[in-house]
Amino acid sequence: MASANPDQLKLARNLNSKGILFGIARLANSSRAFVGSSDFKVYEVDLTDVKAEPKELGAHNSYVTSVAVADKTIISGSYDGRLIWWDAEKRSQIRAVDAHGKWIRRVLATPDGKVAISVADDMKCRLWDVESGKMLRELSGHKAETPHHFPSMLYACAVSADGKYVATGDKVGHVVVWDVATGKELATVETPVMYTWDPMQRRHSIGGIRSLAFSADGKQLAVGGMGKVGNIDHLEGKARVEVFDWQKGERTHEFPGDKFSGLVQQLTFHPDGEWLLGAGGANDGFLQFFNLKDKKVLRQEKVAMHVHGFALNEESDTIYAVGHGKIMVYEMKA
Amino acid sequence: MNMLRVRQVLLFLLLVFASRSVIGADEPPPAEKPIGNVVDHFIDLKLKQENITPAPQADDATFIRRLTLDLVGRIPTAAETKAFVESTDPEKRVRLIDRLMASPGFVRHQATEFDTMLMYGTQASIRDYLVQALTENRPWDRIFREVLLPEETDAKQKVAGEFVRKRVNDLDRLTNDVSVVFFGVNISCAQCHDHPKVEDWKQDHFFGMKAFFSRTFDNGGFLAEREAGVVKFRTTEGKDRQARLMFLSGKAIDDASVREMTADEAKKEKDRFEASKKAKTPPPKPTFSARAQLVEMALQPEQREFFARSIVNRIWHRLYGQGLVMPLDQMHSKNPPSHPELLEWLARDTAEHNYDLRRLIRGLVLSKAYSRSSRWQGEDAPAPRLFAVGAVRPLTPMQMAASLQIATAAPGSFPALEKNEEFEKRIENMEASVRGFASSIEQPRDNFQIGVGEALLFSNSDRLQKQFLGDAGDRLLGALKVIKDEKELVEVAVRNIYARNPTEEEIRVLIAYLQKRQDRPIEASRQMLWALLASTEFRFNH
Amino acid sequence: MAGQRRGFFCGSLDHSLSRRGFLGAAAAGAATFATDMTALNVLQQPAFASELKKQQKRVILLWLAGGSSQLETWDPKPGAATGGPFRAIQTAVPGVQISELMPKMAQRMKHTCIVRSLNTKDGDHGGGAKLMMRGRRDEANVQYPDLGAVLAREMGRVDSQVPDYVSFYFATEGRGFAPGSSGFLGARYAPMELTQSMIPENIRRLADINDLDHAERADLRDLLSKQFTQGRVNSTTSSHNEAYQRVRGLMSSEKLFDISQEPQKMRDLYGPTQFGEQVLAARRLIEAGVPFVRVARAWWDSHGQNFETHQEMVPELDHVMATLLDDLEQRGLLEHTLVVTLAEFGRTPGINASLGRDHFASAWSATLSGCGIKGGAVYGKSDPTGNRVVDGQVGAAELFATIYRALGISPTKNYYVGSRPVPLTEPGTKAIDAVLA
Repeated sequence: MASANPDQLKLARNLNSKGILFGIARLANSSRAFVGSSDFKVYEVDLTDVKAEPKELGAHNSYVTSVAVADKTIISGSYDGRLIWWDAEKRSQIRAVDAHGKWIRRVLATPDGKVAISVADDMKCRLWDVESGKMLRELSGHKAETPHHFPSMLYACAVSADGKYVATGDKVGHVVVWDVATGKELATVETPVMYTWDPMQRRHSIGGIRSLAFSADGKQLAVGGMGKVGNIDHLEGKARVEVFDWQKGERTHEFPGDKFSGLVQQLTFHPDGEWLLGAGGANDGFLQFFNLKDKKVLRQEKVAMHVHGFALNEESDTIYAVGHGKIMVYEMKA
Repeated sequence: MNMLRVRQVLLFLLLVFASRSVIGADEPPPAEKPIGNVVDHFIDLKLKQENITPAPQADDATFIRRLTLDLVGRIPTAAETKAFVESTDPEKRVRLIDRLMASPGFVRHQATEFDTMLMYGTQASIRDYLVQALTENRPWDRIFREVLLPEETDAKQKVAGEFVRKRVNDLDRLTNDVSVVFFGVNISCAQCHDHPKVEDWKQDHFFGMKAFFSRTFDNGGFLAEREAGVVKFRTTEGKDRQARLMFLSGKAIDDASVREMTADEAKKEKDRFEASKKAKTPPPKPTFSARAQLVEMALQPEQREFFARSIVNRIWHRLYGQGLVMPLDQMHSKNPPSHPELLEWLARDTAEHNYDLRRLIRGLVLSKAYSRSSRWQGEDAPAPRLFAVGAVRPLTPMQMAASLQIATAAPGSFPALEKNEEFEKRIENMEASVRGFASSIEQPRDNFQIGVGEALLFSNSDRLQKQFLGDAGDRLLGALKVIKDEKELVEVAVRNIYARNPTEEEIRVLIAYLQKRQDRPIEASRQMLWALLASTEFRFNH
Repeated sequence: MAGQRRGFFCGSLDHSLSRRGFLGAAAAGAATFATDMTALNVLQQPAFASELKKQQKRVILLWLAGGSSQLETWDPKPGAATGGPFRAIQTAVPGVQISELMPKMAQRMKHTCIVRSLNTKDGDHGGGAKLMMRGRRDEANVQYPDLGAVLAREMGRVDSQVPDYVSFYFATEGRGFAPGSSGFLGARYAPMELTQSMIPENIRRLADINDLDHAERADLRDLLSKQFTQGRVNSTTSSHNEAYQRVRGLMSSEKLFDISQEPQKMRDLYGPTQFGEQVLAARRLIEAGVPFVRVARAWWDSHGQNFETHQEMVPELDHVMATLLDDLEQRGLLEHTLVVTLAEFGRTPGINASLGRDHFASAWSATLSGCGIKGGAVYGKSDPTGNRVVDGQVGAAELFATIYRALGISPTKNYYVGSRPVPLTEPGTKAIDAVLA
């Protein structure tokens, strides 16, 4: 039986941070994690020690939007367009790569730690050899402009457990699943509700696909964002998740949101498929557990900050959520 | 009363005395003298003083147009004009006034006018309430009371509550709007600092007035008022002060309820209000209502001067195109009336006659000053504030729309005047059909300038064409179609639109216009009608 | 007698001198100034060479409604906790940096000055918009004309065949906060407001009347009206006839609004967005002699997702503004045309929990480009976090005085409301000399 039980979800502790944290990645089987901050820096934090000061690894030239762990190597991505490789043990920079012409939104590593994946507002997804820092492949096809002639953005990516598929999702709700081996598009799905263009009242847009996740078997693809927004000055659309059988091109689940407003910033499947966890927020945040079998929301909990990202432990019973000024640790031990 | 107030009053008395001494031995007219005569007495005195001979009385056609617009909000039909002009009854002007004031159009027009006055800028209307109130000829003080203290269990009176409800989320605005609309004073300056030159208005006045409203709020669509509360403000000198419940005159009430509520009281009260909100009923009234105190105070004989003078000045302004005090919201000691004694007399008379506005209006339109010609024959026209010549006033949106509809209806399409009920019904329907068009016309205010938008609307919009200038049988154009004689055609058109006979010059010019377009007579007539309707004579009440 | 009896101003002559008196002038006498208005129009006849020169000047106001962020445009603070993610880039003017979201304007800073020290104290959309469109606050009974109305009066011509003041504002949000307003100048200087269609309403002759009839019908109307107004002239009757007299001229200006008259290449330069098309229309209008055009770009009110919003909208502003300056320069119009970017306020340096920025009037920026401006100048300074002005603090009045001076109009010029002189800017206001050519 699973060790994690969302019914038992409770806030265990808060850890201090510096600035607004946009992403977190854990070093496997340890209490060490790495976070990216609005003060341009990458820090190591001890997830068990509430008194410990974050330890600085080094800095980008802008907001650090995402951090990935590839075995013992840390890779951070930033609005400065660079990816920086860090040595987790020495806490020192290995290399910096000018990876994208625009702002990097997300960086991931394949489960085997060999390949890093980045997406940026140049609308490209790039695959990197973790060992050498060389670019392996470029996945290109998302449109640079919205249908309304404004710059689009490429916020989200995910990689399947076997490392064969990469999914990317953009501002207007367009998702592409790529074959990593060939760089070809395998499928596309659309979530137009996640993009709100206001043609009349305020004449710009809000929204976008902010999170993607493959199920353990790679067949299901979850897409997170926000539903239609009335007043686009605020993140007042309902937090929204859609799940696709991407190979069939079928939407299997729609969770339009009934409790929380805001963006779903990150999605993760339980390794055994028991639930899908989403987190995000507007002014405040939320954690949401979905039971895909019964197509039901298992549990949804308010979080006292907009959750920009989170990491799980090996047992999937502890959530390390990052956001504005703090790291919040939630436990749900069975 | 502080020293300043004393000084002010003395100054005022001095002014009054001084002007009396100039006038000489004339005693103020007795209270029972008809209003119209009193008006002429004071207006003529001033004219004599300034050595000005006023314009002659307007002719009958001009008079009926002016009066019909003022009393029932539309131009007269050609038949009404004809009957009036041809009547030899020496009392015909009085009879006309009484006929119009007895007609349902009088209530409709007054309701529109008061609705604009009370609700301007709120995007809301209390017209339904006003129609009922004016049908019963409710006195102005009662309307004032019902607007500020509506019995919200009564659906009609609940409508009246919109006046407060629409403003209650901005108490500064509510405070100032009540002062402007009912008391003729704008104290918004005094919100930030004592008025530097007008000694009447201190910050104490603004916040004193605000204190009457500060406990009022919207409780689920009903007006609620708290048991206690206090308004605090910081003076320009930086001192923190607590406002008293103080009227514009400086009179204040000290009540134990001028205090902060305890947290416990506030909570209990909130629970009560929440309960009524849930039940969708008017909330319980406070034992001491600050808002009600304002109404009581404003109507007390010693304080009512503000209330009485303001409504007199506003009605006068509406009928004479210029207030006895201008601007209407600047009735204070530094801005004396053009005819102080007249304003005093009318204010006292109105208050003593139970604020009967029907009586006031009837009196004002019976004066010679009201019925003067609006054309000045000499060189420079005398200042409008002397009322030596009739005013030329832009039509309100509703006057304009209703008049367009009547002017362009076939003269034969109206029921005979003797069939009074049918005639009135027809007029009412015609008014109802043009409310949409009225909303495209701007509401005139002081120093109103007509913009090019209206000229473009008239010149190029198909709305005018479709709504007014069709050639069906019940339209004027339809009637002109069958008139063969061009002179007759022109006469019918001008009578219908201008409510008078055409001049020889007009007949000549208009016939020439038609003759140049003999190949398209309907178009020619339509264009002629357009020129008449778009002309300045039609656009104004003169 | 006549001189004293209207004692309802707070004084009389001291209005133009005393700030206190000015504030108190609540009771402005609407009663009499109206008659002066008709006389005022006559004063607009171009009598002197200097007047003629002045009348060549034009203004395009890019109104960034809702409040664009100074930090993501003209006053970046890279690296500060309040700075946000975008970097600053070097412009063509040494030492001057602006946000990386504006690379095109960075290359064209030689035409533009930035005022980085606005402290306008009003963080409310309505209050701020009125203040920044009028350069001052209304008094209880004096409604001031806005910038467009003043410039329409100062730079337009009585016999003009084109509108004097055109305002494009298609978005519905915020349109009501500061509708074009001619205040005490009256409807003659009210804007022609376009809110739905690029072509003004009712400017086209209906098909069922031919042009000659349309004109002669108007002549007939004038003739009838003239007979009536003999001995009955007042400012309102005059405005009625003036309005009709402008109809035919305005109708002939329809083509000016029609951007399909432009070569496709030119349309491509401005781009396909509504803002781009309206700014192109604005250029056509000022080229034909319209003195003032406002193009409102709404709605910048980024309480949530400030950076996404600016990432979306600033590049459009950058592109369209740069294209406009290039176009004006190539046509030889830039030296006569002042391009202003302005909003009701800026945005907070503090970043809120939704990654938004809120309303902020304490330290924000505006720009002036072209006519009468010392290009490349930067005036004033905010502190390293952008929270307050540390050098050269100015308000709406100073900015307006600077605009007037750039156009050769004296900021101390008086209008008369009744007998009360009302200067264009409040007494004692200083223009920002440092940015004037």
